[in-house]
Amino acid sequence: MLDLQCANNSSLCGGAASPPSGFDLRKEAEAAGITETLRELEHELIGLKPVKSRVRQIASLLLIERIRQRAGLVSSPPTLHMSFTGNPGTGKTTVALRMAKILHGLGFVRRGQVISVTRDDLVGQYIGHTAPKTKEILKKAMGGVLFIDEAYYLHRPDNERDYGQEAIEILLQVMENQREDLVVILAGYGERMTNFFASNPGFRSRIAHHIEFPDYSEAELLLISELMLKERGYSFSAAAREAFVNYIALRMTQPFFSNARSIRNAVDRIRLRQADRLVSDLDRMLEIKDLETIDSSDVLASRVFSASPPGEGREPSERTS
Amino acid sequence: MRLTQGCFSFLPDLTDDQIYKQVQYCLANGWAVNIEFTDDPHPRNTYWEMWGLPMFDLSDAAGVMMELAECRRVYGDRYIRISGFDSSHGWESVRISFLVNRPAQEPYFALERQEVAGRVVRYATRLCPSREATP
Amino acid sequence: MNAHAGTLRGKERYRSGVMEYKRMGYWEPDYVPKDTDVIAMFRVTPQDGVDPIEASAAVAGESSTATWTVVWTDRLTAAEKYRAKCYRVDEVPGAPGQYFAYIAYDLDLFEPGSISNLSASIIGNVFGFKPLKARRLEDMRFPVAYVKTFQGPATGIVVERERLDKFGRPLLGATIKPKLGLSGRNYGRVVYEALKGGLDFTKDDENINSQPFMHWRDRFLYCMEAVNRAQAASGEIKGTYLNVTAATMEDMYERAEFARELGSVVVMIDLVIGYTAIQSMAKWARRNDMILHLHRAGHSTYTRQKSHGVSFRIIAKWMRLAGVDHIHAGTVVGKLEGDPNTTRGYYDICREDFNPMKLEHGIFFDQSWASLNKLMPVASGGIHAGQMHQLLDLLGEDVVLQFGGGTIGHPMGIAAGATANRVALEAMILARNEGRDYLHEGPEILAKAAANCTPLKAALEVWKDVSFNYQSTDTPDFVPTALAAV
Ligand SMILES: Nc1ncnc2c1ncn2[C@@H]1O[C@H](COP(=O)(O)OP(=O)(O)OP(=O)(O)O)[C@@H](O)[C@H]1O
Ligand SMILES: [Mg+2]
Repeated sequence: MLDLQCANNSSLCGGAASPPSGFDLRKEAEAAGITETLRELEHELIGLKPVKSRVRQIASLLLIERIRQRAGLVSSPPTLHMSFTGNPGTGKTTVALRMAKILHGLGFVRRGQVISVTRDDLVGQYIGHTAPKTKEILKKAMGGVLFIDEAYYLHRPDNERDYGQEAIEILLQVMENQREDLVVILAGYGERMTNFFASNPGFRSRIAHHIEFPDYSEAELLLISELMLKERGYSFSAAAREAFVNYIALRMTQPFFSNARSIRNAVDRIRLRQADRLVSDLDRMLEIKDLETIDSSDVLASRVFSASPPGEGREPSERTS
Repeated sequence: MRLTQGCFSFLPDLTDDQIYKQVQYCLANGWAVNIEFTDDPHPRNTYWEMWGLPMFDLSDAAGVMMELAECRRVYGDRYIRISGFDSSHGWESVRISFLVNRPAQEPYFALERQEVAGRVVRYATRLCPSREATP
Repeated sequence: MNAHAGTLRGKERYRSGVMEYKRMGYWEPDYVPKDTDVIAMFRVTPQDGVDPIEASAAVAGESSTATWTVVWTDRLTAAEKYRAKCYRVDEVPGAPGQYFAYIAYDLDLFEPGSISNLSASIIGNVFGFKPLKARRLEDMRFPVAYVKTFQGPATGIVVERERLDKFGRPLLGATIKPKLGLSGRNYGRVVYEALKGGLDFTKDDENINSQPFMHWRDRFLYCMEAVNRAQAASGEIKGTYLNVTAATMEDMYERAEFARELGSVVVMIDLVIGYTAIQSMAKWARRNDMILHLHRAGHSTYTRQKSHGVSFRIIAKWMRLAGVDHIHAGTVVGKLEGDPNTTRGYYDICREDFNPMKLEHGIFFDQSWASLNKLMPVASGGIHAGQMHQLLDLLGEDVVLQFGGGTIGHPMGIAAGATANRVALEAMILARNEGRDYLHEGPEILAKAAANCTPLKAALEVWKDVSFNYQSTDTPDFVPTALAAV
């Protein structure tokens, strides 16, 4: 129905009547912006080897698909719905945003916005409430990516008359019939997603790409912390770095550990403590270096190091992105 | 009678692709998009029935097209129009409005005249069912 | 050049006799205009040998408190407040012997809400003043407090569109031709054909009032039969500007009331009826839910020459204050005077809520309109369907495009002429909204639309070579960087 080919990437579809005889692959990839996006993915995200290679594969497939279309070869609009499974804080939301950029660059979604929702955004409280709610969200997501976090909450096997089922049906229909209008990414934690798919075969069959997000190693978490500090204009002193290595080891064993998000929260608190330390001595002259450096004391003051384990490690279930 | 209300009534009826592009134009301008339908296209009938609430904050016209398809499924035998509403100061009204559906057999308007004092005539425009026999 | 002349103060100032204006307090180069001042900018051409500062001060004096000699009765007033102050004089770029004089007037010099009073002050006496060869009122700035004393357009663009149920495209009109001689019955035929064919409006010409060949009641009756018939035939609201211009206010009210009684959505007046009559009709229109169309008949006698008279941008500003809903503001591409940049300035004055200073458009001051309704500009005179892309690009979408000859002169008849214009317009709007480069692809877009529309094909063929490329006489004089903000 829609003139998808030319919707947003004129460089990829110059409107030529007869297909060109050859394609400069590098140029094509650059024009679509995917070279740049993949480079960012590589550099700005630590680890995630399997994820990165799956994303790269998908990008390649879409690039070739695009070129095949222009060459007039047999091509079918690919199914692009995906599922991202992995523990909290493993980068699912972050990668979804990059994925939207890639899809947009290649013209597989027209606008590239990401609408991130959970059950409460889709499912209503009373009869007749769910369909309009779900449709409202779908309409906003058209042309972009609908990211459904903790998708398994949509389905409540214990409750037969759960309104979630209605939302699921509408979603399935749109995922099937309007594949060129939006891409749905379901996200959630490993085990529960597996169960969800088992009891909702409709979803399983509509999803083309299942991507698993592994937990980060200690070394990767350290790299992540250093990257986050760098982005915020800080760095560890040698002693602080050593302290943080210990911090990671301890924190991983404590409850509510959520991979990179725990690191982000730790970094934020470390900044607080550093500021507090600096301000406690009003009479000294500060140098740039003082402002930039994290001391071991800033790390060691964490309650993670104190006897009672679940202390500051408790991360409120603020699970937004 | 071919009703010529709306922005594009003198052109052949818009295809869905054309409608999509006009809606996208509205969204790009930040206007809310509204779908309305009626079986009373009298020129002074301002308030057509609303098909749901106006759609705010959409990125892509596909969302509107989805609603339009639904509206046509239910009210395919009526007039349906799409309008773009601009809430910015100094306008705060409709910016564009165009028909996206007509009944298969369009009604027509009879002009009724009442002769009053002098040569003055009072006019009333009355909606009449289509002149073509309904199948 | 903006040096002090040395205003005399105290006893010196009021010594009997004749004194230079610039020493009487009408030249104050240090004066900073207040936000509440009315500011006027004149182009002055002093007689040979007359000091431009003195000439400008004289304009300030003669347009406010001064007379040719010192009067002691000044001392019974707060004279310094009431004296208009010329505060700046610039040479006009590229026009030797001409100067731009900026003059500030205290708000108390003007009666609230009266264009007649305003114009009597600003252009009342001063234009015949001998020491100047010529002068022209170029632009004015009105303080918000003053703007708020006016009603503004009776209906305004937004409500006009709501009443007509027409959005997203220029409105289409045509002036009935021949402008003189048709009987009421024949005249109504032209109205019917044009409206049925697809126009939104038809229009009386400026000098159609009540003549031996067609008395006004006849015209109104036949025209409203035509309007109602066309409305029923299309299901769209239609209108015809019934010109109610007449010899007296009583006559105009009578005609306007008859138009209302017949169900017309719009009436029309000519600029020549005068500012007081215009304001009266604007108030009448607001009371009676009527759109008020103004024909700028006569304006060229004083707006066209650059050195002497009143710029049309002044008339546009005054008319927005006075409260008309439509004003003819030029076409750029048609048969009547109109430099593109200057015309853009007029359109902005009509349609924007705030006009920033823009010398290249002839706008010398920031002007806030304080939410006064917008005034719909009308483009009329020598335009046709083949120019649709240019018209849309130059004039935008909130405008009435009047194709008089371009409708009635169509080889297949009036209704066909109207259809050609409407199809051309809709095709162009559709293309514009789709994001096409309609200005350059215009001819192609029209040709494609014409494939489904024989009347448009014929129109494009007949008028394909018609354009009016003459030098404009009224263009802005400015040096892009030399002038600073006021
Ligand atoms: N590989 C990585 N490199 C750098 N930063 C990362 C990486 N993975 C995640 N982050 C950062 O960690 C935080 C949490 O990531 P994100 O929200 O994407 O995780 P998630 O898998 O969606 O978690 P949840 O399932 O709990 O919502 C973000 O601030 C993100 O920038
Ligand atoms: Mg997340």
